[in-house]
Amino acid sequence: MLVELKVNGFPYRREVAPDTTLLTYLREVLELTGTKWGCLTGDCGACTVLVDGEPVVSCLQLACQVSGHEVTTVEGLDTAGELNDLQAHFVSNGASQCGFCTPGMLMSAEALLRNNPDPSEAEVREALSGNLCRCTGYNKIVDAVLETAKARAMAVSAVPDLSGSSSSVGS
Amino acid sequence: MANIDVFVPSTLEEAVAFLAHHGDRAIPIAGGTDVMIDTRIGRISPEWLVDLRALSGLSGIEYDANGFRIGALTRIRSIELDQGLRQRSTALVEAARVLGSVQVRTMATIGGNLCHATPSAEMPPALLVHHGIAEIAGPDGIRSIPLGQLFVGPGHTSLEPGEILVRVTCKAANPSSASSAGSCYLRQTVRWAMDLAGVGVAASIEVDEAKVVSGAKLALSAVAPVPLEVDVVSDMLVGKELTPQLTKEVGRVAAEACSPISDVRGTAEYRRQVVAALVPRALYIAWLRATQNWPVGKLAPINGVLSEEE
Amino acid sequence: MSETLLAEFQVIGQRLSKLDAPQKVTGRTVYADDMHIPGLLVGAILRSPHPHARIRSIDTTEAERLPGVAAVIHAGNVTQRRFGYGQDNIPLKTDKVRCIGDEVAAVAAVDDETAKRALELIKVDYEVLPGVFDPFEALSETAPVIHDERVDITGNISMRWDFDHGDVEAAAAEAAVIVEGDYSAPQAAPAPIETHVVIASFDPNGHLTVWSPVHMVFMYRKALADCLGLDWRRITIIQPPVGGSFGGKIDIEAHDFITVMLAQKAGRPVKLAMTREEEFIGARTRQPIHFHMRTGADAEGNLLFRDAEVVSDNGAYNAWGSHAMLVAMNTITSMYRVPNSRIRCAVVYTNKNYGGSVRGFGNPQATFAVEQQMEELADALGMDPMDLRLRNANQTGDITPQGLEITSCGLSECLEIVRRQSRWDERRGKMRQRNRGLGAAAYIHVGGGARIYGSDGCGAMIKIDDSGQVTLITGASEIGQGSETVLAMIVAEEMGVPVSAVAVINSNTDIKPWDVGVHASRTTFVAGNAARMAAKIARDRLLETASAVLGAPADQLRIRDGIVEVIGEPGRSMDYARIVRRRLLHEEGSVVMATAFYDPPTHNQDKEYVGNISASYGFGAHVAEVEVDPETGMVKLLNLWTAHDVGRALNPMTVEGQIEGGTAMGVGLALSEEIVFVDGRVAAPNFHDYGMPTAVDVPRIEVNLVETIDELGPYGAKGIGEGGIIPPPAAIANAIADATGIRPRAYPMRPWKVKHWIDTNERSYVIVSTDRSEKRESN
Repeated sequence: MLVELKVNGFPYRREVAPDTTLLTYLREVLELTGTKWGCLTGDCGACTVLVDGEPVVSCLQLACQVSGHEVTTVEGLDTAGELNDLQAHFVSNGASQCGFCTPGMLMSAEALLRNNPDPSEAEVREALSGNLCRCTGYNKIVDAVLETAKARAMAVSAVPDLSGSSSSVGS
Repeated sequence: MANIDVFVPSTLEEAVAFLAHHGDRAIPIAGGTDVMIDTRIGRISPEWLVDLRALSGLSGIEYDANGFRIGALTRIRSIELDQGLRQRSTALVEAARVLGSVQVRTMATIGGNLCHATPSAEMPPALLVHHGIAEIAGPDGIRSIPLGQLFVGPGHTSLEPGEILVRVTCKAANPSSASSAGSCYLRQTVRWAMDLAGVGVAASIEVDEAKVVSGAKLALSAVAPVPLEVDVVSDMLVGKELTPQLTKEVGRVAAEACSPISDVRGTAEYRRQVVAALVPRALYIAWLRATQNWPVGKLAPINGVLSEEE
Repeated sequence: MSETLLAEFQVIGQRLSKLDAPQKVTGRTVYADDMHIPGLLVGAILRSPHPHARIRSIDTTEAERLPGVAAVIHAGNVTQRRFGYGQDNIPLKTDKVRCIGDEVAAVAAVDDETAKRALELIKVDYEVLPGVFDPFEALSETAPVIHDERVDITGNISMRWDFDHGDVEAAAAEAAVIVEGDYSAPQAAPAPIETHVVIASFDPNGHLTVWSPVHMVFMYRKALADCLGLDWRRITIIQPPVGGSFGGKIDIEAHDFITVMLAQKAGRPVKLAMTREEEFIGARTRQPIHFHMRTGADAEGNLLFRDAEVVSDNGAYNAWGSHAMLVAMNTITSMYRVPNSRIRCAVVYTNKNYGGSVRGFGNPQATFAVEQQMEELADALGMDPMDLRLRNANQTGDITPQGLEITSCGLSECLEIVRRQSRWDERRGKMRQRNRGLGAAAYIHVGGGARIYGSDGCGAMIKIDDSGQVTLITGASEIGQGSETVLAMIVAEEMGVPVSAVAVINSNTDIKPWDVGVHASRTTFVAGNAARMAAKIARDRLLETASAVLGAPADQLRIRDGIVEVIGEPGRSMDYARIVRRRLLHEEGSVVMATAFYDPPTHNQDKEYVGNISASYGFGAHVAEVEVDPETGMVKLLNLWTAHDVGRALNPMTVEGQIEGGTAMGVGLALSEEIVFVDGRVAAPNFHDYGMPTAVDVPRIEVNLVETIDELGPYGAKGIGEGGIIPPPAAIANAIADATGIRPRAYPMRPWKVKHWIDTNERSYVIVSTDRSEKRESN
C-alpha cells in the first residue's frame, strides 16, 4: 500500500504493508528514530507525533490512515541546527534526564502551546498526562512548558500591533 | 499483527456491503485506539480492517431545540472541547475529558468507544442520561434503537454483520430556553488521569421553576457487563425537591441494582460502596447545574469531592 | 550556601544544563533500539505459560524449518552454566519452570513476524505442578518445594538475614509504650520507558561485542563469560545511552545470555528487544517484603528497641532482590538512635517473577514500617512526631549498631525545614474534619558508595591533546542521572578549564577503566572523587610545564578560565592549550595524561552484618499532605515538601532532578503502582493497570537542599540518586492516618484498600506498660 506523508516539511512516498503503523513507518521505513516506543498500547506517550498539528500516539495509528497528511516529529522542531524555544527551555530547565520520554513529551507540549498559548500549571499537567516520565517527577518539564509559554507571549506582545486593536498577551 | 489488509470504502453503502460480505473476518476501524491494541495482543485476528475515517457525513456535533446529534466518527477530543455541549451535556464533556490521554482522545471516536462495548467505557453512561438513540446503518437501511440496547455484554454489541453505528441522537435542554437541566459524570480511579473507571456515574436532572425535579436519569459504568441505566431514579425523584437524604437513597438503590465483579480494580462490594458514594454527588452537581447554582462551563472534580479551599 | 563558599568555585554549584540535553531534545540520541547494524537478526524468547511445571520435552523441528529462521535454541542444544546467588538460575530452563515468564527456548529470525511465528511452532510438553504464590504459604511444610535441586537449603527458604544487637526483650520490659503491627510492601517495577534491548555480535575472530543499556558493565561482562564459558578478555560491552533504568538494568538477566547464545548459534548479530508485557512478566521487579514490627520507647520518648520479623517474597530465583534486606536492615537498626534491635528475616521462594534491584533497594519497604511506627509511637506517647524524631535523630559522630559511621548528618535540619514549610505544628492533627492530613517520614541511605564487592572503586583517566580538549575517561556510566555533566564539572573545576573543553568517555569496556557500576547512589561520590584525583594530577603536570614556560614556581601558578597565570601578576599568563602544545610538540615532548583509582575507605560487613559499608550516609525528610475521600478511599496528594542532606550540591539542577524523580517514583509506590498477581500470573502486564504516576498524580515537589559538606565527598557531596524514593510511602501513609484516624498497613494505598481500612477501623496496636495490659488505641 502506498503511503504518502509530508514529514517535517519533506514529502515521502513509500510502499508499505497495509497494517504498518505510523510509528513503524517513521522509525523503520524513514529511519527517523527520534520518535520512541515504550509500550505499543498508547499508555506511555513516548511515540507521540503531531498529525496536522494534533498529537497522536503513532503506535496505534495506521500509517495508511494518515496518508496525505502532515506529520511533525521531534526531528522537525529545531531548524538549521537551532533549537526551538520549547527545546531550549527543556535543556535549560533540566527537563530531560534519560531523554527517552522527551521526544513525545515535546510533541504533546508543542501541541498544547499551539492550542492554548497561556496554559495554567494544571492545564500543562493535564495536557502532559498521556506522557509518562520516570526520571524527572515532572516538575522541570512543567516549568519548561510554562516558561516557553511566557516567552512566546512576551515575543508576541513585543511585536508592534498593526491591527489597531490592543493585543495584551502575556503575564 | 500478521498480514492484515486495509479496505477503504468511499461510501457508507460500500462499507456496509464489505462488512456484510466478510463477517467476522473484517473489523471496522476509525481512530484505532482499541482495534490496534486488540489486534496486537491477539484478542481479535481479522483479515481486513475497514477504514471508516474517510466516510463523509459521520463526523460532527449538531444541535437543535431538543438536543444534539453526534456523528459516530466525531473525535472524543472534539466532544471535550465543544462549548455547545459543555452547556447542554456537561456529563458528556466530563466523561470525554477523562478518557485516555489527549493523544488518545484526538484519535478515538465516539462510535469506536460505544462499539468496543467495554463495561467501563466513559461515553455510554453520559449518553444514556441524555436519552441516547443509536442510529445504525446496515444492509437493510437505517434503524434506530435506544442506545442501551446496543450493549449486549463485555465487547459485544447488538450490531448485526454489516451494520455500522452512524450517529447518536440525544435529548438536552436548549441553554437559551426556559427549561433548566444539568448533568454530571464522575468516576473512581486509582490514578487521577490515564485510568479506566473503577466505577463511572452519570446523572441528569431537570427542574421546573419551583426547583422541583421534573426529570432525572442515572447511568453507571463498570458495575455490570453492560452500561447500566438505573430507571427507578425517575420515580424516586420526579415531583420532589432534591435533598441529601433523597440522593443518598438513590445511591443505595443504585448500589443494589448493579452487579459488579471483583477484579484487580476492586471488589464487587467496594464497587457498590463507590456507586453509593458517587451517585448522590453526581445528582447533586447535576442539580446545582440545573438550578444555575454552578459556574457555567466549569467542570466538576473527577470524583465530585467539592473541597473547601484553605 | 554562603557567598564566600560560592566564590570558592568556578564551576561547582552552577545550575548547568546536562551536556547530552541538546541531543535528547532533538531526538538525535541513538538508543539501543535505534542502532543500525548490518545483517541484524531479531531474537525472541518462548516463555513458560505455567508458574510451576516440569519440562518433559521440547520439539523445535517445525520452528527450525520455517524459512527465515536462523537459530532455535533451548537447554538441549546450548552450553550454559548456572548463574545467580546460590547458582539457582540458568538462562534456558532445563528440567523445570518456576514462574510464568521463565525462558524455555529462543529463536533468531529475519524479522519480528518470522520470529513470533517460529515461537508458535515450538512444542513444549509440560507436566504442570502445584505452585505456591504466597510467601507465608511457601513457608508451610506441605508447600510445593520450588528448588528441590538446592540441597543447601530447607524447604523454600532461600536465605536468612538475622541480626541481633543488645537485648530486645529486656528493653521491651522497660518500655513505657510499644507499638506493634504489620506492614507490607508490594511487588513493583522499575519501569523505565525504554525496555531492555540487547544486541550481540561475534566477529569472525570470535570476539564478542554486546550493546546493552546496562550500567554495571564489568560485572555484566564477567557474568556473561562465567555462564557461557567465554574468554572474558575477548568480550566488549558497549553501553548505548540508557532510556532509564532505576535499577532495572543493573542485573544481568536470562535474556542477556540468550541473546549472546542466539548470535553464537546464528553466526550473525542478533537484537532482542523486550516488549512492555515481557518487562512486567520477565524482567526484574522490586522485592515484596512483609514486616511484623515492634518499636518501644520510654515515657520521655527515647527509643529503646526495634524488633522485626520479616518475610521477603523472593519469587522464583535469587537475583539482587534477595539482598534487598541488606539495605532494609540498615534502616531497621540505624534509622534514629535505637540501642537494641533484632531482625529475623526469611527470604522465601514463590512461583512468581522475582525481585531485582530497584532504586532505594529495600529501603522504601523498611521505611514504610519504621516511620509509621514513629508516628504511632508519638501519638501513643502524646508527643509530636517531629519532636520524637528530633529527640532520637542520628547525629554527626554516631556509630550505629551495624557499624555505620555517621560522619556528617543533616537529618535534624531536614526535619526542621519540612516541619516549618508544611506548617506542621499548626496543622497536623487539626484537619480531620476536612479529610485532610499531614504525615512525615525520614530516611537514612548510603551516600558514599556501598561496599558489597572486594572493591567499591572506580577508575578515571585524563588526557589533554594538542587542541586543549580535556578528555575524561571514566569507569562510571551515564544513565540519565547526569553523571557525565557532573564529572565534567569536577574536572573543569579542578583544572581551571571551561566545561566546554571537557569531553567524557564512559561507554566502552575496552576503553574505560574498571568501576563497580552505577548503583547505591555512588557515582558522584566514588567516580567524582576518582575524576577529581586524576584532574589534580593532570593539572599539576600542566603546571610543571607552565612553570618552565612562564618562569615562575608551580606553586605560584593557577589556572582560571583556561588561562595559566602567575598569581598576582595578571600579565604573566598563557592559554593552557598553548602550554600543552609547548610540552608536546618538540623532540622528547610528552602529552599530559593522568590516571587515578578511588576506592572509598569502607569495609565489607561481617557475618553479623556489622561493618561501615559506606564512606558517608545521606539523610532526608518529607512531609506529605493528602485529602482522603472517605467514601471511595480515593487519596489526592496535595503537597509534598522535601529536604535532603546532599553534602554539597555540585549542580543543584541535576540534584533536584534526582530528588524530584525519585520522589515521584515514591509517590507511585505509595498510591498506585503494583504488579498484581492472580495465581502466579501477572493480571495485567501493561502500563495502564500498573499505575505509574502521571503529571497530574504528582504535585509540585518542593525541594530543599541541605549542605553538610561531607569530609570525604568530592567538594563535600554525597550520593542522592535514591533518597527521594524512600520516604513517600511512609509519609503518605502517615498523612492518610492523620486525615482519617486509620492506620494503613500496605502500599500501594489504592482506593479500595483505604476504604477497607476505614470500614474495618484499622488502628494502631499499642501496648502501654502501666498495667501491662494490651489495648488497641486510636491515633
